[in-house]
Amino acid sequence: MSGIIEAKSLVKTYRRGREEIHALRNVDFHVNEGEFVSIIGPSGSGKTALLNVLGCLDSPTSGSLRLNGTETWGLKESKLVKVRRENIGFVFQQFYLMPTLTARENIELPLLFSKKNRNKSRIDDVLRMVGLSDRGDHLPSQLSGGEMQRVAIGRALINDPRIILADEPTGNLDSVTSQMIFELFRELNRKGLTMVIVTHNLDLARQAQKMYTLRDGQIVGCDDMACISGRSDIEVQQVAV
Amino acid sequence: MNFLTLAAKNLLRRRGRTFLTVLGVAIAITVLFSLLSLNSGYEKELNREMGSLGVHILAVPKGCPYEAASLILHGGVIPKYLTATDLKNVSSIDGIGLATPMLMQQFIRQDAKTGKDVPHVVFGIKIDEVRELKPWWKVQGRFFDDNETNVMLVGRGLADKENLTVGSILPAGPFKNFTIIGILERTGDQDDQFHFVPLAEAQRVFNKTGMLTTIAVKVKDLSQIEKVSVDMEKIPDIQVVTMTQIMGTIMNLAGSARSLLLTVIIIALIISAFGIINTLLMSVNERTREFGMMKAIGASGLDIGKMVLAETVFITLVGGLIGTTAAIVGSSLIEGFVKSMLPFAPRGSMVTLNPELIGFALAFSVVLGLICGLYPAFISSRLSPMEAIRGGVE
Repeated sequence: MSGIIEAKSLVKTYRRGREEIHALRNVDFHVNEGEFVSIIGPSGSGKTALLNVLGCLDSPTSGSLRLNGTETWGLKESKLVKVRRENIGFVFQQFYLMPTLTARENIELPLLFSKKNRNKSRIDDVLRMVGLSDRGDHLPSQLSGGEMQRVAIGRALINDPRIILADEPTGNLDSVTSQMIFELFRELNRKGLTMVIVTHNLDLARQAQKMYTLRDGQIVGCDDMACISGRSDIEVQQVAV
Repeated sequence: MNFLTLAAKNLLRRRGRTFLTVLGVAIAITVLFSLLSLNSGYEKELNREMGSLGVHILAVPKGCPYEAASLILHGGVIPKYLTATDLKNVSSIDGIGLATPMLMQQFIRQDAKTGKDVPHVVFGIKIDEVRELKPWWKVQGRFFDDNETNVMLVGRGLADKENLTVGSILPAGPFKNFTIIGILERTGDQDDQFHFVPLAEAQRVFNKTGMLTTIAVKVKDLSQIEKVSVDMEKIPDIQVVTMTQIMGTIMNLAGSARSLLLTVIIIALIISAFGIINTLLMSVNERTREFGMMKAIGASGLDIGKMVLAETVFITLVGGLIGTTAAIVGSSLIEGFVKSMLPFAPRGSMVTLNPELIGFALAFSVVLGLICGLYPAFISSRLSPMEAIRGGVE
């Protein structure tokens, strides 16, 4: 089955002075359309590097990446912008909301760049989808952490992407709010969106359909959670990770 | 929401810094607009003032003609004199329409209110001939006859300042007991500040019988000015100054002063431009993560560059508007300052406020913004999204 994300032999090497940092070493990664995938691993394992390469924010040193059937390796930045706009919605740990824009305007922002029709009802729909119908006119400073992350998710959804890439989306939230945000992701996934989430939170990661484990820039495990649900041996192995 | 509202909101995040940058631009534009408006106003007013003399050529005693001309224009006194023979010789030259003698003197009178000594300029004139030179002269009361005694005309400005009315008698000075029989209607030039008496009376009061300070000449045909002035130069003891020469000299002197002012303004604009670039670069450096996020949510390098450029143009346009408004509102203050720096300043208002000038000042501020914003916009547009999100600057 051809996936919406097909990465083969991805290598990402950073240079810091004389030192070479191998963030990704021959990573193969496959996500089917509509799948909910989580990526876990210790700090420095290459989770964020992988997500950034998958989202075309960073180019791999070598390897191949096909997004929705388009080979992205070697594409110019102008083409990558188009790929990002049409396929990907990003959610960050720090939310990165514009402090002078209201929730509604923050959600609207990507439409300004994609030159898509900025009709009010579309923004209202997204606000409703993320549960912020009555908070649209509030500035980020007037919102809680969970609400800010909902705005960021709304912003990721506004361009109708095929894939949502989320980097530690619950890293700044308490456990209850984290669970609520994850519920929102699951709901979006049920509506057909492909989700790839990097997290440190094992409990949340286990709620995905597939869980990749990264260590030292390599995938050391890929677990189909639907099959292993309830198996204590897997849980023990992952806690060790 | 569009790029402009986004740029405006971004600027409002750093109100203090935005305010200071706008202020820098506003000051530069105020100075630029003032100089440009005064520059065109200066030439216009000088031409008007020269025209108001109604004279094409001045004959003055030999000496420095420009010093003499400047003194005449300021109502000063020339310490040398022409004679009736000179007048006769001048009048006999071909092409002269009118040659009228004048004696210009000063007297000092104590100001009734302040108690300070104030110089007064008095012209001894042949009234019919001067009225021919200045057909726009109108009088409240009446003009004097050349053979009348103890009569005087005063300019409107002087009358208002000294509280003089038709029928007033001057209480002190060499013209004590002279009756003011007429007040000239406001002309807007130096005549508003002068006393005018019959020539013979001026010569009598100042004990300068037969002496003249200048002969004002009007030619029949303007194209003959050069020929007539060459003929006049042949008369001994006479120095000829044409109005074109005076204008040229004054404009040259004023040109030097204006070059100095222009240099100051260019330096001010350069400093202002670097200030704007510095502010924007600081702002770009502080916002690399934000730009990275924008790229991640679909912004292209061009979009980011456009936003930074829009912010710059916003700053300079607002600065330009404030600067132009400040220049218009404070034009009298600025005019006073500039007048004090010029070697010859016309008495009338030099400020001209035409729409083209306002348009130019605003367009200039936008161009300044575009130039200043280009480099920061280029830098920000080239940030790689990944580096930007990490907070690094390329």
